[in-house]
Amino acid sequence: LCRGGLAERLCRLQNRERSAISFWRHQCISDAKTASDKSGVLIVKILEMFEECTIQVAICQQLEQSPAMLSSEDVVINAGEPILKVLFARETAAHLKSRPQDVIHIYPPWQKLLLRNADVPVIMHTYFSQKVLLSEHSETREKTYGLTKMLIRKNITSLAQTFSLDDLDDELLQESSDNQVACAPQIHNNCDSKQHPLARSAVNDSLLEMVESQGAVGWREAQVRVIIQRVYCLPAREGYRSHVQGNKPLSAIPIINSDPPNVRLCLLVQDAYGMFSEVQLQSLTFTDDIEQYCRRWEGKFCCLAGMKILQRTTRGRALGLFSLIDSLWPPVVPVKVAGQSQASEMMTTNLPPPSFCYILTAQSGEIHVEVDEEEQISNLYQPPAVHGLKEILQINGCNERCSFWAQVLYLRLQTKHSVPINQREILLFVTDSTLQNVVHMIPKVVAVSVAASCVLSTEITEALSVASRLIFFKDVLWGNGRIICVERTVLLLQKPLLYSAAGADLSELTGPVRLDELDSTTQANSVCAVKGTVVGVNESTAFSWPTCDRCGNGKLELCPQDRGLLYCNQCSEVVISPVLKMQLEVFLSCPSRSQSTVKVKVWHEISFGILSIVRLDIYEVQSVLGKVFLLLNCYVHSVTSFFYCVALEEIVLL
Amino acid sequence: MDSTLPAVAEELLKEIKKAFQETSHGTNTFSFRLKFIFGPSAVPALDLVDQRSVTRVVSPSGRTAYQVLGSSGKLYTCYSSCHFCTCPAFGFTVLQKSESLLCKHILAVYISQAMGACQELTVSEEQLTSILLAEEEDEG
Repeated sequence: LCRGGLAERLCRLQNRERSAISFWRHQCISDAKTASDKSGVLIVKILEMFEECTIQVAICQQLEQSPAMLSSEDVVINAGEPILKVLFARETAAHLKSRPQDVIHIYPPWQKLLLRNADVPVIMHTYFSQKVLLSEHSETREKTYGLTKMLIRKNITSLAQTFSLDDLDDELLQESSDNQVACAPQIHNNCDSKQHPLARSAVNDSLLEMVESQGAVGWREAQVRVIIQRVYCLPAREGYRSHVQGNKPLSAIPIINSDPPNVRLCLLVQDAYGMFSEVQLQSLTFTDDIEQYCRRWEGKFCCLAGMKILQRTTRGRALGLFSLIDSLWPPVVPVKVAGQSQASEMMTTNLPPPSFCYILTAQSGEIHVEVDEEEQISNLYQPPAVHGLKEILQINGCNERCSFWAQVLYLRLQTKHSVPINQREILLFVTDSTLQNVVHMIPKVVAVSVAASCVLSTEITEALSVASRLIFFKDVLWGNGRIICVERTVLLLQKPLLYSAAGADLSELTGPVRLDELDSTTQANSVCAVKGTVVGVNESTAFSWPTCDRCGNGKLELCPQDRGLLYCNQCSEVVISPVLKMQLEVFLSCPSRSQSTVKVKVWHEISFGILSIVRLDIYEVQSVLGKVFLLLNCYVHSVTSFFYCVALEEIVLL
Repeated sequence: MDSTLPAVAEELLKEIKKAFQETSHGTNTFSFRLKFIFGPSAVPALDLVDQRSVTRVVSPSGRTAYQVLGSSGKLYTCYSSCHFCTCPAFGFTVLQKSESLLCKHILAVYISQAMGACQELTVSEEQLTSILLAEEEDEG
């Protein structure tokens, strides 16, 4: 199924609905069946039934109140009561096993449809229906009816009867809205933009004019031509909106709100006058398309129409947005200046950077953005300027946006348990040839923190956890000696088609990657290489545990049937030969940091090999002392200056 | 009693068309209704629409037919003057067992029409004739 497409959406809604229905049915069995004091319930009595395709059509009489008070014989068809046609899906009909004269309670959300040429309303979406059994005669009646198989008449529809989608009224309306342009940007179709004719009204090139003429006559059809400087995703703030119309939503059953679309695709656009605007487009259900959108749209021209102003924001209120705008200022080609005649264009050397920016969004669900993918890249486009990490570390400014291409060596997730997993900060340790090939004063590896506001595609998160990858970091924020990925930063697996790399050293890394050695300048939350001799063992930290030999699961349980055996619930099987993992803290004496006590948590098999420890219950401390680690890669947990203690944990680079 | 379902289906498709004209993409309500009325054909039909599989073939005389690229890669022809599709599911589910009003291809044609998602193709009279009178290919 196409990701984000209608089919996939329906599939998910369907699954949710199915579980809601079965939950409701169970609830009905356990709840005492009270009369219809719940509002929104439709009570009907079936008069006649027949089948059309797999739908059961029941001609019913709508009852005002529950007939549970009266016995079945007393309920007489009152000619004045409204008649309804109630449709039941195959599965609901099989569950109900209803017959004429049965009374059915239909719980919301049912839907009513009024057909144009008929006066009998049709009731649909009757999944939540329940048959009401009437008084004393019901049981015996059920038994006798159960013995005879009921035959339901089947209506066969003629194939000659096609559906007409046109209305006479609609055709009249068509003529007046000829010049409406509506084209949702789709990654899959290439030539749709050619098929939809552009609006007859003139295309504007000023965002300010479009914004200022909001509400005036004809502004909806007016189009503004801009270029797309950047494409990125922003975490959306709106919650999930219920789609139940008309009837009351299910109050008894919690509608599972899992996976609402929580990122929105956004464009940073610039018009011919150099003015910027952020356009918020549709919500993306899958962020994997972001790389494609970037490749296909950045630098291209695009037409906006009928946009709604979400906000007019200023530099002081939107630092993140303006740091990105500043990185694109001044414009690389001359821009027009307001007030001058259309024909002449002014130079831009002394234009001050923008102090305000409009945030636009599509009008009530419409997306009036047409990207001209076929045309060439605009001259106004400023591709990301790529620098080596060494250069970036030497930038003097604060809140500068920069881009680089680096290899990710190690990934660390913030461990605050009070913060949900998808909002935790990630720490990436990266390097490139400019850092690795340098000798003095510059670290070999640098930490990049990824804030929760930076949207990562699933492709990236998978790639990061698997192996050492080269990642393109676009528009990260540099300031106060830290590199941070925030909102509007995009991480890509491939270098963009266009980027400027004036003098940057983008050569591939040759040879193995080296970490900085542990020394007096090493700080917490960094990685380093340690060289030293074992001078002590923290025996109280010795810990070993069995792991599954198939999947590596470290949380094995005792088998319920046989308490002597271990069970892995990820493989759902007994673990016959578990692999024993060990962990131990040792104290090292390191020449590079001789004043400090260096404590390392060791867990890798190779390290235990160096220590000559096979099992933690039979080793001798004496035999471990004096063992030498020549190169141990570690993550620095803490550096306590008071006691000169450095706590490290062994790591394995990607 | 007269048939109910075709009128309901037609009304539903008209609503989809109107909803799409107004908002340029429908809400989830109409897909629920599609599911209710058309059952198992709904999701496959929407998938065909997502993939832009429907082409409206027109000839100079004004005759039309629809071609739908099925999920197996085969091209099926749907008539515009009556409900007919060359796919085997139509023959079985609609003609033989009357279990459904339409097959997923015909439903995809209607939804694509409502949403303006049909590709357009103009062919000569001879080409359209050969499409409508297509011989069954023997698959060895």
